[in-house]
Amino acid sequence: MLMPAIALVGYFVYVSIIWNLVVSVSDWKGLRPSYNFSGFGEYLDLMDDTKFRTSLTNNIMLILLFVPMSLVLGLFMAILLDQHLKYEGFFRTIFLLPFTLSFVVTAYLWRWMYNPKQGVINMLLRNSGLGFLAQDWVTNPDLVMYSIVFALLWQFSGYVMLIFLAGIRSIPETQINAAKLDGASGFYLYRRVIIPQIKSSSFTAFVILMVFALKAFDFIFILTGGGPGYSSEILSLTMYEEAFAITNFTTGSAIATIMFFLVMLIVLPYLHITYRRKN
Amino acid sequence: MSSTRFDKFWEIYNSERLRRGLLYLVLIVMVFWILLPLWAAFVTAFKSQQDLQTTAPYQPSPSPTLEPLRATFEIMIRPLFNSLTFTIFATIFSCLIGSMAGFILSRIQFKGSETVFLLIIVGIFIPYQAVLVPLFLTMARLGLINNLLALVITHTAFGIPICTLLFRSFYEEIPESLINAAIVDGAGIWRIYRKIVLPLSTLPFIVATVFQFTNIWNDFLFGLILSSGINAQPASVALSNLKGSQVALWHYQMAGTLWYSLPSLLVYFFLGKYLMRGFMTGALKG
Repeated sequence: MLMPAIALVGYFVYVSIIWNLVVSVSDWKGLRPSYNFSGFGEYLDLMDDTKFRTSLTNNIMLILLFVPMSLVLGLFMAILLDQHLKYEGFFRTIFLLPFTLSFVVTAYLWRWMYNPKQGVINMLLRNSGLGFLAQDWVTNPDLVMYSIVFALLWQFSGYVMLIFLAGIRSIPETQINAAKLDGASGFYLYRRVIIPQIKSSSFTAFVILMVFALKAFDFIFILTGGGPGYSSEILSLTMYEEAFAITNFTTGSAIATIMFFLVMLIVLPYLHITYRRKN
Repeated sequence: MSSTRFDKFWEIYNSERLRRGLLYLVLIVMVFWILLPLWAAFVTAFKSQQDLQTTAPYQPSPSPTLEPLRATFEIMIRPLFNSLTFTIFATIFSCLIGSMAGFILSRIQFKGSETVFLLIIVGIFIPYQAVLVPLFLTMARLGLINNLLALVITHTAFGIPICTLLFRSFYEEIPESLINAAIVDGAGIWRIYRKIVLPLSTLPFIVATVFQFTNIWNDFLFGLILSSGINAQPASVALSNLKGSQVALWHYQMAGTLWYSLPSLLVYFFLGKYLMRGFMTGALKG
């Protein structure tokens, strides 16, 4: 009964990862497969490659901006919703809505938001007398990463909120009441009593956001395609372009392997802590 | 003197009514922020080309038209049907396989079961880029490029890890005595699964189905790599091509977006609570 799962996951995950690794160190050039070992040259070449280095830098920037901001905004929204609201269900449904949409959809929505001539944001600014604030949101290389992060915050904050809200709700009522009896309230109650207790939710949200930021593809591929120039190019895009646009499979596989190890660097400690604790 | 002023400020700040008011103000601003892109897409999808020039993108058309929806329907109908087909099959297969695996891994102890579980779970997190080249080569060798079967197989395989986790966390709540009693009665594993576990599985099957349907429907990357030709194009890929095609104008793009997002929106509004449980499984039980 376990066999279908083992066979499919075994082949499509583990055999494929090893196969990918083999391709990255092979002498495969062009369209015909060739698996002779040719060393780690591909990885060394990448270190000197401007495009790869730009995409790595952009990826790190994406992580440094997107992950902490999502955590703060998500926590803020969870605290707002934790105030015994009459319409909590309504607000939760609205806030989570963007996360249930495909990245293809949200990328289209934000292409329309950010369009410099007719787009929603610039028209809104112009029509309210703030036209001087209108920007080339995704065509200005200095601005594009910030615009991407802002749109991703729009999509993810509700999900982070959901994780934190579940964490807050799982704190035993008696503990919160005891703190309230001791005079804790408002800001103090959250800072001293509630936030220290939702460490595991924070850790989970952190891991999910990190993994997403490392492997994000669809949204940026459609919104900017990595441009203008390489200014929003990230690892997954470079990998796709190398492997599937110019059929440079060895380079694509090498980038994919690097991405795999970066993600595992975060996921393995997480799984270790989560599942060893249980047993 | 200044201290009394400060006290006054503090008094107002502390007044419950003001704080409630501020709270709702912030919440409503956030609701506007979340809804603005969706609203703009929605009103744009009902505009004529002339409205597009004369009205702001967030203003509804004075004379709404169905023309953009009709025009994009012709382009999107075949891909939407393709997506529906592979999404339904892959959802069913990944849920069934995940349910069986989740049952064994939660209730049947064997040497290495914990390791097998962890190895399967890693599949939730891996960046798909790490398997993309071999996946493409595999499907090419099987002659399944631009074939819906490739997407059924791929989405089934990569859906199994999260389904296994989901079913396992549900099955851990089935009382052990129930299973043990059946084992004492001499029932085999298949019999226990069919007679005891499956009848108790309605809720996890609903959660897993809703979750998988949404995930697979929303996928873009696998479709792009395996099936971007005209024959078996998923709706996500067809939509992504819309911006480069003849009908590149914004009202068509937004109308196409509306068609593609309709099923996920329907699932969310009618079965949202199950979808949230699915989201939480990856996050909390994990």
